[in-house]
Amino acid sequence: MSAALTVRGLVAGYDRSVVIDGLDLEVADGATAVVIGPNGHGKTTLLRAVSGLIKPFRGEVELGGERIDGMAAEAIAKKGVVHVMQGDGLFVEMTVEENLLMGAFPGGSWRGRRAALKRVYSELPAVEERKGHKARTLSGGERRLVGLGRGMMRQGRLLLIDEPSLGLAPVAIEAVYAVIRRLRSEASSAIVLIEENFTHVGGVADVVHILEAGRIVRSGPFAELAADRTVVETYLGSIAEAPS
Amino acid sequence: MTDIVAIIANGVVYGSIYGLVAIGMTLIYGTLRILDMSQGSMVMVGGYVGWWALATHGVNPIVALVLAFAFTFALGTATELVSVQPLISRRHEVDFELVTFITTFAVAIFLTNVALQHFGPFQQNVPTIVGGNLKLYHGVSISYHELTMAAISVILMGGLGLFLARTRWGLAVRAVAQDLDAARSLAVPVTRLYPLTMGLASALAGVGGVFLGALYFASPTAGDLPLLFALIVVVLGGLGSLTGTLYAAYLVGMTQSFCEVEIGTTWTLPILYGAILVILIFRPYGLKGSPSEVRL
Repeated sequence: MSAALTVRGLVAGYDRSVVIDGLDLEVADGATAVVIGPNGHGKTTLLRAVSGLIKPFRGEVELGGERIDGMAAEAIAKKGVVHVMQGDGLFVEMTVEENLLMGAFPGGSWRGRRAALKRVYSELPAVEERKGHKARTLSGGERRLVGLGRGMMRQGRLLLIDEPSLGLAPVAIEAVYAVIRRLRSEASSAIVLIEENFTHVGGVADVVHILEAGRIVRSGPFAELAADRTVVETYLGSIAEAPS
Repeated sequence: MTDIVAIIANGVVYGSIYGLVAIGMTLIYGTLRILDMSQGSMVMVGGYVGWWALATHGVNPIVALVLAFAFTFALGTATELVSVQPLISRRHEVDFELVTFITTFAVAIFLTNVALQHFGPFQQNVPTIVGGNLKLYHGVSISYHELTMAAISVILMGGLGLFLARTRWGLAVRAVAQDLDAARSLAVPVTRLYPLTMGLASALAGVGGVFLGALYFASPTAGDLPLLFALIVVVLGGLGSLTGTLYAAYLVGMTQSFCEVEIGTTWTLPILYGAILVILIFRPYGLKGSPSEVRL
């Protein structure tokens, strides 16, 4: 299997401060990699560097074998990277449907927007119910679902999801993860999912990577890392029964 | 009663044309956070295009309007590329709003002086788009030219609204205004969208310039007064709010019309700027503006 995403020696950050410091990561085609790490250790920075929202200082990023580091975010998105941002990145004065339609903006996917919309609505009936409302008026859980729905409006090669459980009530988190589990089994794109702890990711992770101080310090299957008491105690989070 | 009819008729006409000129400024402020001071000179340039096409070449008025639209669209795009684009990548280091205020103002002064060099400090008569008057009520009449101007302004503003609400690129313009990073991560090419937005805004002002040229004259300074009125309208409407701009445009139009009929033309600007002072003290974000960064 070829790699959807390869990151080698990535150094990235903001202004002069380095947050990601020599990070290596490989995600196989169609696989779901979960990156876990404490706040402030570079999880969001990693995704922003991959999707081009910040320019890496050094290192290489390859999408399906093609170098994308240094490219503008617009160009990287066109190549098939779908970034579901932290805090949803919704256009708050636009309606839910307009937000979803923007998910089909890139290149050829606009022509298939009606069909894509229908598919997203059938996957997310709660979103369809709110389609005429402005994003500003939604609850946190609804916004997260719209953010994911927008990411489902086109078939990407790599889907980046930034802390989908952040700030949500347990019921809403369960709804969001139900969608992510379906995405994982149905969509063909590779997924990089970021979380602060192990609590919710059991059912979705093919591989878990632990990010600390800007590097990956441990990698392995969920079961192996979750069984390691020192890892779990370091990164908090109780381990729920992995939902099937 | 005669006064009231006159005030309303003129107020609607003024309001429509101010709306047309100001809505472009609102569009630019909403997407780019720039108070585009070159918008007035686009009115001036539109006036000269109208004069050139109608007075010296006698073309069909519709062709003249299309020419003005196309020419000022290109000029607005060029203005963005020259005075804004080089600063965008440095928008976090510099005071972007202030610097672009000055660079677009520089473009305005440049264009005014090019017109002065080329056409001289003369006022050129621009023919009206259509002749004749419509009698409204007991001696109050309104020219067909003004009616056409109001109608086309409303049609263009409606068209802009549809563009923003219904089309792929219209949605993209609003998306960029509301969350730049999210728009970029959805492959919206912002470096192409900005010049097009400024071109579109300038083109609306350019069309307005053809009409205003016939009401007044085409001259190097013909854009100054429209810019002053447009500034009142966009600030009053709450910088960046499209609906606020519409309300404010008609409010300003009605006020001007009222001053002209009841008080005297020279009082219009002092009264308007006095009113804006009072309104901004009580509503610092204008009529429809919001304190948030999110607009359009």
